[in-house]
Amino acid sequence: MTNIMNDPDTIGLRVDAEAIRETMEYYDAQSWTDGLPVVPVTESYLQKFLAETTRDPAAVLFSMPHLNRELTVRLAAINAALAGCRPEYFPVVIAAWEAIAKEPLPVRGIWQSTTGTAPLTVVNGPIRGEIELNGAGNVFGSGFRANATIGRAIRLALINVFGLRPHLLDQATQGTPAKYTACIAENEEQSPWPPLHTEYGFDASESVVTSFVIRSVMHIEARHTSVPEQLALDFVDTIRRTGALIHQFTSALLVLSPEHAQVFAGAGWSKDDLRTYIYGQVVRSRQELAAVGKDAVSRSTNWRVPGDHPDAIADNAGEPDDPDTVRLLRYPTSIQIVVAGANNAGVSAVAEVIVLNPPNEFPMSYSKIGDQE
Amino acid sequence: MNGTELLLDPTGLDGSADESFLAPRPVSLRGLTLGLLDNTKPNATQLLNEIAALLQEKHGVATAKLYTKDYFGTPVKDELLRQVVDEVDIVVTAVGDCGSCSAATVADGILLERAGIPTVSIVSDSFNMSGRAMASVQGFPGFDFHAVPHPVASLDGEQIRERAEQALPQILRILGVES
Repeated sequence: MTNIMNDPDTIGLRVDAEAIRETMEYYDAQSWTDGLPVVPVTESYLQKFLAETTRDPAAVLFSMPHLNRELTVRLAAINAALAGCRPEYFPVVIAAWEAIAKEPLPVRGIWQSTTGTAPLTVVNGPIRGEIELNGAGNVFGSGFRANATIGRAIRLALINVFGLRPHLLDQATQGTPAKYTACIAENEEQSPWPPLHTEYGFDASESVVTSFVIRSVMHIEARHTSVPEQLALDFVDTIRRTGALIHQFTSALLVLSPEHAQVFAGAGWSKDDLRTYIYGQVVRSRQELAAVGKDAVSRSTNWRVPGDHPDAIADNAGEPDDPDTVRLLRYPTSIQIVVAGANNAGVSAVAEVIVLNPPNEFPMSYSKIGDQE
Repeated sequence: MNGTELLLDPTGLDGSADESFLAPRPVSLRGLTLGLLDNTKPNATQLLNEIAALLQEKHGVATAKLYTKDYFGTPVKDELLRQVVDEVDIVVTAVGDCGSCSAATVADGILLERAGIPTVSIVSDSFNMSGRAMASVQGFPGFDFHAVPHPVASLDGEQIRERAEQALPQILRILGVES
């Protein structure tokens, strides 16, 4: 079989299609899928995935104690294979789970929540080229096996191992298309800045996975300007939208196209310059927040509520000398930045992240590929 | 690899059930101490207080003690669980009216039952399936909880009192007490 598929002169492949369809139907009947067909996984195929790591198959990568469930290396591998990963992708999947385990919200039940968030996996370093992970055109898909299946490997394990099935433990009101899969590489080669993982102190030659919990991915269209402030304000306007506000603060991952990144870098802005500028501009007047009933927070849940709500207490987001100007970012680091996409237009994206910080000023949901736990 | 092989189960569930027993039921509520476990969701305190008032007035519950979780989305922490188990005879917990807290409210009920305390978990009926799924992952698929009509968070005081009155027969049934 392998020889046939690797032979470029082979123009056809004969299979028992009925047996394949029956297998797909079996997985569907077991509710072991996300709705799409999966790759059948047997012990011999699983062993190819486990051979890609030195980890103990019984080692636990991530657990949700309140669900009485834990994800072992073996279960992560079964679900990666099921998702269509090649065995050589598996170290990325392991690192993604380790990154997820460091985030504040997944362990607290965020993927049962009505908000309906998805895991987004961002990959840096040489592994991108080794497994052909896309960081250029169509970075959010589709068409790239590594991106499509690594993201799906995470979701399938959430469904199968943690039982986070829609209408059951997953109570997302609407969810997001990113729940099928969301994995991107940074386009380091066309970025004017050092790559994301070097901000954590890694060397650019190391491969690192960063995990985010995201809601919407909104696109920014700005082909008209080379003025960094103008361009930054388009991002600001999107980040400070009131519809995004659940809690006192919001946070976001900017996914800049190389062209947009160059507008900033060409004007001499570093990534820190950009996030500091955005931090200063992502504000709302108290009056604007009152107009949508989000001018205070609840004493019990810290969710935004109207100022006249019985649970309302003042948020502490106002400026000391200007209490009617409400900051919606906790820190400049509430903005994270990667460069991805084709270098062909002034088109970028803002992924709304829940929650980068607090509790930590600096995000910590990353893991080096191949590291021993 | 030729021939057929078994497809692997990707869930890791081995099918073995945990202990799924209820705490011994009281014959009557007379003289008992009722614990109210508040998950901090809007109107949870009000709903629990209304239920407590009804159980005190009509069914002889001696005292009610309110306990507040520090986070609604996951089950009660061990320390608070132990305190509740030490201090009360029966518990009502509310309100599971969101994705994570509906499941957590059911998990709290199961934790308390396993610790010997008869417990009524109250969710809103939009989240009945979430509660049911949580009971399954906790190894107690038949766990009985009560679903009040959704919503709860947006109700006023009078409507909360009505929800409490409507819920009372089911609360008594789950506690094993004749109404």
